[in-house]
Amino acid sequence: MKRPVVFAALLLVAAVALAAYPLGATGYGVRVMLQLFMWVALAQSWNLISGLTGYVSFGHVAFFGTGAYVSSLLIVKTAWPWPLACLGGGLAGALLAVIMGWPCLRLRGPYFAIAMLGLNEVLRVIASYYEGLTGGGNGLSLPTLDASVAIYYAMGLVAAGVTAVTYLIVTSRFGLRLMTIREDEIAAEAMGIDTFRYKLYAFILSGIGPGIVGGLSARDQGYIEPISVFPLIMTITMIVMALFGGKGTIWGPVLGAAVLFAFQEAVWARFTYLHQLLFGAIIVAVVLLMPRGILGVLQQKYNLPRTI
Amino acid sequence: MGVLITPAMIGQVVISGLLAGSIYALVALGLGLIFGVMRVLNVAHGPLMMLGAYTTFWLFQWFGVNPYLSMLLSMPLLFLIGVVLQRVLVSRVVDAPELSSLLLTFGISIALVNLAQLAFTSDLRSVEFLTGSFVVGPFALSKPRLAACAFAVAITGASFVFLRSTRLGKAIRAVSQSREVAQVCGIDVQRIHLLAFGLGSALAAAGGSLVAVMVAIQPEMGQVYTFKSFLVIVLGGAGNYPGALLGGLLLGLVEQLSSLFLTTQVNEAVAYVLLVLVLLIRPTGLLKGRV
Repeated sequence: MKRPVVFAALLLVAAVALAAYPLGATGYGVRVMLQLFMWVALAQSWNLISGLTGYVSFGHVAFFGTGAYVSSLLIVKTAWPWPLACLGGGLAGALLAVIMGWPCLRLRGPYFAIAMLGLNEVLRVIASYYEGLTGGGNGLSLPTLDASVAIYYAMGLVAAGVTAVTYLIVTSRFGLRLMTIREDEIAAEAMGIDTFRYKLYAFILSGIGPGIVGGLSARDQGYIEPISVFPLIMTITMIVMALFGGKGTIWGPVLGAAVLFAFQEAVWARFTYLHQLLFGAIIVAVVLLMPRGILGVLQQKYNLPRTI
Repeated sequence: MGVLITPAMIGQVVISGLLAGSIYALVALGLGLIFGVMRVLNVAHGPLMMLGAYTTFWLFQWFGVNPYLSMLLSMPLLFLIGVVLQRVLVSRVVDAPELSSLLLTFGISIALVNLAQLAFTSDLRSVEFLTGSFVVGPFALSKPRLAACAFAVAITGASFVFLRSTRLGKAIRAVSQSREVAQVCGIDVQRIHLLAFGLGSALAAAGGSLVAVMVAIQPEMGQVYTFKSFLVIVLGGAGNYPGALLGGLLLGLVEQLSSLFLTTQVNEAVAYVLLVLVLLIRPTGLLKGRV
């Protein structure tokens, strides 16, 4: 019983420190941390569907972009307060997950990945086409508002929320079913698991976080355009973060997001012209050298539970 | 819509569609070969094609080499690059879940694009070779597109003959049908994998050399062909090689036909909508492939 207590205490300390952080930080610092929270929420959300069920969502940024557009439109056109509008973005993410998951989750292997990739492109084009509503390629400007600190707390809450949901799922029968689907879907069906239903539930849950985060990010940036909220590279980044930390685990995506984000801020910013090359090399290295991530390596070494 | 669509317009669109489709078929055959043999979706396929286009451009720029003749160099060069990529990187993820190969080839893809930006800059380049068009009755046939189509059909045809009739071609088809059985029959599966990735890259290079004469060359020109090739092999049925030809021509036709009714911007999405629809309605492809 000792280890969990220490761990919980550490978590509490970290939470208090992060909650107090904006009191003593610069505006820049707050915005950097809020982006870190955003990546934690995104990587963790991807982990919910792809890490647990093995269905690779190769267009997960579609939920982020949809959330960003729906929230921004709610703010601009109907003058909803931004926290409410961002929740609306989360709802839109969930709705999109139902609409897309219903047909697509019946596809297996690479076909699901391709379908998600296609979906994201379709959404991007739709956003650029309906100019009357979305401003098309010119983008959409939100009314100015200085709410970095509030958005910081909101992002933090979402990141913590998605992580808590992952914890609850992984330690429940629901999570066990999802992981059975990942290991062997046919066997899961033979054991009487309604695989489609559970995949859809996981997919919906994984769409809410990016939807809210998309809205918060749009509110923070004050401006969105189709290419800035539907980029394929963002999907890849969240996948690599989850993979680097350890996919299918509770803390892997958090760890991966933190390490890669810190690395990005510290190193990448200085080599903009080599950015893609370095990122490509990191992807290749992670895939080839540590496909099970940092936590996967630690688990093997110290014989820890696989879902920690 | 207000715009009158005449039969001549439709004829023109069908011709343009088939001309464009032949290139899609050629490039997608390369992707389909790699996917069929190894079940690896090569996200770096478009960037490999881009390298083929640059090979043609530089040969033309420095030595005035005929762009169509330059395929004799761009194809072997990309064959080699493909073999090296397969040997060093891709071979390690052939049996891993699809996430590994998707991510790995994506990593290769952005690295190649970045390298091309560093080496060649992002300037738009063009090969001023064939211009103008033949006018046949009411139809205009653009010369570079016609030439590209002829070469694409020839290379695609040659690939089919190779796959159908030669020992190596049969070995490739055997491995894509069942790796284990092929192995038991004495086929060196690792070698076939190398060959498949090499040939797939060479076909992409041929496509790159052909489009080099028609469109602006720049480091990011390939990505859109990656996605279109995905669609083509899904349309045709994965692992079904003649299906790639059918899928390519069909994609060309649909894109051109829809351009009569839709703006350019929306037309971009037609391919993706088609992709999602085909996956949902008939995931085995039009000709039956394996799911």
